[in-house]
Amino acid sequence: MTLAANSPTSFPPSTTQRRPSPPPRRSASTSTLGISLVTLAAMIALWFIAARFGWASPLFLPSPAEVLTQFSAVWADGYANGTLLDHTLASLGRIAAALGVGIFLGIPLGLLMGLNRWVKGIFSVPIDLYWGLPPLAYLPLLIIWLGIGETSKIVLLSLSTFAPICFAAQAGVRSVPAERINAALSLGASRLQLFTSIILPSALPEIMTGLKIAIGAGLSTLVAAELIAAQSGLGYMIMSAANFLATDVVFVGLIVIAILAFAFTSGMRWLERRLIPWKGKL
Amino acid sequence: MLRIHDASVTFPASDGHDVHALDHVSLDIAPDSIVVAVGASGCGKSTLLNAIAGFLPLTQGTITLDGKEIVAPGGDRGVVFQKDTLLPWANVLDNVALGLKYRGVRRSERHERSRRLLELVGLADFAEKPPYELSGGMRQRVGIARALATDPKILLMDEPFGALDSLTRETMQQLLASVWAKTGKQILFITHSIEEALTLGTTIVVMSPRPGRIVARFEADFVREVARSGDIGPIQSHPRFIELRQEIRSLIHQPEGARTGTLQ
Repeated sequence: MTLAANSPTSFPPSTTQRRPSPPPRRSASTSTLGISLVTLAAMIALWFIAARFGWASPLFLPSPAEVLTQFSAVWADGYANGTLLDHTLASLGRIAAALGVGIFLGIPLGLLMGLNRWVKGIFSVPIDLYWGLPPLAYLPLLIIWLGIGETSKIVLLSLSTFAPICFAAQAGVRSVPAERINAALSLGASRLQLFTSIILPSALPEIMTGLKIAIGAGLSTLVAAELIAAQSGLGYMIMSAANFLATDVVFVGLIVIAILAFAFTSGMRWLERRLIPWKGKL
Repeated sequence: MLRIHDASVTFPASDGHDVHALDHVSLDIAPDSIVVAVGASGCGKSTLLNAIAGFLPLTQGTITLDGKEIVAPGGDRGVVFQKDTLLPWANVLDNVALGLKYRGVRRSERHERSRRLLELVGLADFAEKPPYELSGGMRQRVGIARALATDPKILLMDEPFGALDSLTRETMQQLLASVWAKTGKQILFITHSIEEALTLGTTIVVMSPRPGRIVARFEADFVREVARSGDIGPIQSHPRFIELRQEIRSLIHQPEGARTGTLQ
């Protein structure tokens, strides 16, 4: 062969398929932030106007000023056997305990269910059965079994946070691309290394999604359970206030719950950005 | 030396007619050679690679690497996949170092070795980037570096440039020729491009589908020229290249009934 003369070869990074880097940062969320703030301000303004011009009786719609007054009163003097902080902490303690149980049981069991046919076959039956039931339907049973104290409520909440976390961990294991596993095996990964370096991180985005669902499920079950059977907590405070038509206290309770829910959602978003910035990237 | 002896892979099919993805294939891959398997879809070339990698059990026959029979995936065979399989949570350097980490190589040493490999594939400046900020071609270079990091006996490449645009593809072919010339690795390369097969192969095996068989085998050394000159342009207009291309093309496009045995 008589071919082109010797020439040193170097391989500069090709630019033909280069994506703009770094990728655009969540521009959608920053661009809607202003709109959302204006909407929130408009809703509060509407509330002011409606109360000011007496569109509804103060019994049904207390004015923002009344709610604010009541807020500081409940904060300082308390309502229904406790201050606002007591009720909030009681509720938070329950949900924290339930999330703890859900995470520490749900993630390992879900991972095992994703990895092993036997574990999946055995545990999916009871979980599927109870997860289909509305939690409040079996709360009376839990109260009969465990009494009216904290145990029955924490078990109820744990059941509602456990299932979504467990399902998510299981789905996470199953979502690992087969090629990624083959690649690790051909690089000489042991079974344990395969699990810790490939399967677990690959399942993390699904687990985070499950955690978000669990927080939502936990929060709604929590308040509902406290409405029915509790001596403390935000749900209990709201129910006690409603019995005396203290609508302003009901509003205080609702606002605190809304703030908590918002804080959970923001916290999870922050955690996702920290833990899995690569989600959906590859 | 990789030795494939009388290898068959049969998949049960729902209609009762088993699919003979690989049918009594025998092939030796000598050290310091690039064997390229080329053929139409379904000719069993990927099945062959997956069997060598240990991802897929043989129905019949044996594959041995340096006398040791292959039964499972292992670090002695580096695999480069068509779809890149880099870990998005690790940066480029840690991706290359993954196999070394599995072997318990110290962090400083595996990083040093990985940096050298990134230099070899021209990505030294991208070590700290996450893989998703790289182009498709660059990600495949990381894949090649990663497969080389554990110093495997053979590199198995399953249509690694198939998803790249044609310009990037040419750059990658030059890169592979140069990497091969520098490292002397034996390589099994799967492609459906006849030009790619001739550009890169020291041995080209033509495969045919239903059942998957080797129908012809050619020797070539265009790849040495590519490695020397760093340019794939000149060889592709070489008369021998054009002649072989035509011959392989007619073998691949031959109607299935007209094929008779192997032309080895």
